[in-house]
Amino acid sequence: MVEKTKKKSRVFNYFCEEDQFAGGVAWCSGCPLELTARFVPKVLGKNVVFVGTPGCAAPVLHGQNVGAWHRLAYMASVMTGVPSKATGLSRYYRRIGQDATVVCFTGDGCATDVGFQPLSGAAERGEHIIYLAYDNEGYMNTGNQRSSATPLGAATTTTPVGKIGRGKTTVSKNMPLVMLMHRPAYMATATLSHLEDFAKKLVKAKEKVKEGFVYLHVFSPCPVGWRINSNMSIEVCRTAVRTNYFPLWEAEDGKPRFTVEIANPKPVAELTKLMRKFSHLKEDGLAELQKAVDERYALVKNLCDAYK
Amino acid sequence: MKAKKGQVRVITGNAVGAYGAMVCRPEVVAAYPITPQSEIAELLSQFKADGVLDAEYVEVEGENSAMNVVLAASIAGARVFTATSSYGLVFMYDALQETSGFRAPVVMVNANRETPGIHAVSSGQQDMISARDTGWVQIVVENDQEILDQTIMAYRLAEDYDIQLPVMVNYDGFYLSYLAEAVEIPNIEDVDEFLAPLKQQPERQKLVPGVSIGCGTHGMEMGYVEARYKHCMALERVKNKVDEIDKAFGDYFGRSYGGQIEEYRTEGAEIIVLASGSAAGTVRTVVDTKREEGVKVGMVKLRLFRPFPAERLIKALKGKKAIGVIDRSLCFGWKYGPICMELKTLAVNIGAIPILSYIDGLANLDINVPHIERVIDEVNAAAQGKPYQEVTWIPMEE
Amino acid sequence: MVIKHKNIFKTESAWSNADEKLLCLDTGSWRTERPVLDKEKCNYCGLCALYCPPQCMKDMGDYFEADLAFCKGCGICATECPRKAITMVPEGEFADEG
Repeated sequence: MVEKTKKKSRVFNYFCEEDQFAGGVAWCSGCPLELTARFVPKVLGKNVVFVGTPGCAAPVLHGQNVGAWHRLAYMASVMTGVPSKATGLSRYYRRIGQDATVVCFTGDGCATDVGFQPLSGAAERGEHIIYLAYDNEGYMNTGNQRSSATPLGAATTTTPVGKIGRGKTTVSKNMPLVMLMHRPAYMATATLSHLEDFAKKLVKAKEKVKEGFVYLHVFSPCPVGWRINSNMSIEVCRTAVRTNYFPLWEAEDGKPRFTVEIANPKPVAELTKLMRKFSHLKEDGLAELQKAVDERYALVKNLCDAYK
Repeated sequence: MKAKKGQVRVITGNAVGAYGAMVCRPEVVAAYPITPQSEIAELLSQFKADGVLDAEYVEVEGENSAMNVVLAASIAGARVFTATSSYGLVFMYDALQETSGFRAPVVMVNANRETPGIHAVSSGQQDMISARDTGWVQIVVENDQEILDQTIMAYRLAEDYDIQLPVMVNYDGFYLSYLAEAVEIPNIEDVDEFLAPLKQQPERQKLVPGVSIGCGTHGMEMGYVEARYKHCMALERVKNKVDEIDKAFGDYFGRSYGGQIEEYRTEGAEIIVLASGSAAGTVRTVVDTKREEGVKVGMVKLRLFRPFPAERLIKALKGKKAIGVIDRSLCFGWKYGPICMELKTLAVNIGAIPILSYIDGLANLDINVPHIERVIDEVNAAAQGKPYQEVTWIPMEE
Repeated sequence: MVIKHKNIFKTESAWSNADEKLLCLDTGSWRTERPVLDKEKCNYCGLCALYCPPQCMKDMGDYFEADLAFCKGCGICATECPRKAITMVPEGEFADEG
């Protein structure tokens, strides 16, 4: 018989609140966004207010008439108004001394495209809000159209592969770096394979939001749109970290540093083979993607090294 | 009980807008500068810097954010204020709809200016007209004092428990925004007193952290219908409420404006000129002259544009022989101006009389005395059964 | 106009209220496979529970068990279990359970 250590993962220690969501909600099987949405309020604790928007989260975050899928205080918004609404809430709660952690919870399409202006504005003003972007690299709720966060070469319904088309022809907007340049009180990248890393960052976010703006960029693969087996989505997160496709780093008071460093990064092909959105890429396409990944990683690494 | 005499100062319409907001003690203000409104954003910032305005002031990166900030703060429970013009109002379009849909009692002043269809830095009511189906209460004022008084009244209206709707106070940009007039600024304690009845009312639903409620839920089928029906019914209630508040304001501060509409020398009048905004002042003068000449003319000043004051208009216009409507904006797809087009929906109630549409005052062109004389002469002729032109773009015929 | 409609919202505007009505889907019916635990192999680390997207693994004191009312059958728990203590078994094999 196997000797049982009976020791639960340390991650459980970060939870200070019950799951705020109903048991059964309309997120796809194996979706890391569901895990993100349930995980975040558990760690952030009481008095969280979510501001959400159309996207994969909306079918669950928005209520339906009087009914709600969760117990969070919540405000729905169109995509262009999320950080501005959070600003209005946070300013007033602070004014009246009401304890509140205001969290914008949007997809990458809202954060990097149509909702970018108010995000940039709120970050520059140093509003006391946490902006969490769950990055599934496109408009997945509307059926996998490309966003600014869609990577080079990816096949989407608006960058399709055809006789001429070879998927997206430009690299994705480097959103974490764009947000770092706003000099937020705190910013971090996170993903669902590294839950303790994520939890630590949420704890820090809750603390640092008292000083100013917090941006969290969460890599969240889409099993349906990327065509991943539902059981493999956490493994995709892990591989994205191990290939340096999605490096885990943070910046407290403007100083970037890696929170997870990969000694021997794997080639990006190890990641792309786990899904079908890159399945059309031949050697040259993969080489270009690898180049983009290396370039982006080097940029962050240089910044981290500069602050060592 | 009467309010004490306020401080009289000669200030611009924009400054009046800022003072009007300040004396109502907003808790969260957000604004983005745009011609001709910028002075309001500047002055409110200065009030804050000088410590006379105790509000959170959010210097947003665009008008859309300004509206979203005040919308959310209002839903959290704050008294809020914002101001804009023209392209700014257009840029708020989605947020305008959310604000009224969420039933947030936001108060905004809008310095009317032409809209981006043709780029123009000039006065016109096209911005307000373009926002008419956003579910807001829209009021148009004539002069600087009215900007101030109506802003105070707007809070009493917006935050009324039976209303809970955003209110837009419109004034002619350029004409009033930069026009300095003597204005009596009420004492802030008297404004407190005038707005005090709001505190006796039940509390509206607010978004509170830690409470399991969600603002902006999906309206599904009958939930959607019900929310829209309640919104429309609240707009219907606005009409009488505007009259009541105007009367209460008059009783307390000694100035009143007629509520939904102002009727000027309509008694015994056979013909009516329907106008709105700063042009009404000129119309009033010409009506006086024409009356002296024996023309039985009166004026109706439209103050409430949304909801459209149908009942008051029918009462004021029934039995008249002809009406001329001056519009400072266009109603694309109709040959008439927008206010004229709306008035025509009341033709059944008013009677089959000639309603003449005049387009004038676009792009800062003056709605001047000769123009109004022409309108009155033509409407008078139409009333005598003579043939008339249905629609006239006055500047195009000069 | 005779209103026959009975109001859905107590408020003027449309607010959801979880205390009044918490919505819930029968996501258990989505499942084509279910996780089956070999208790002998389980060391109660809880990674299955942590990674489970619907967070439906119940803490049974010295092991975790999926709440089949909500388990969508994604298989993440089985893939992530460091001891390979969970196996995904086709629902068809439990047909007699009804």
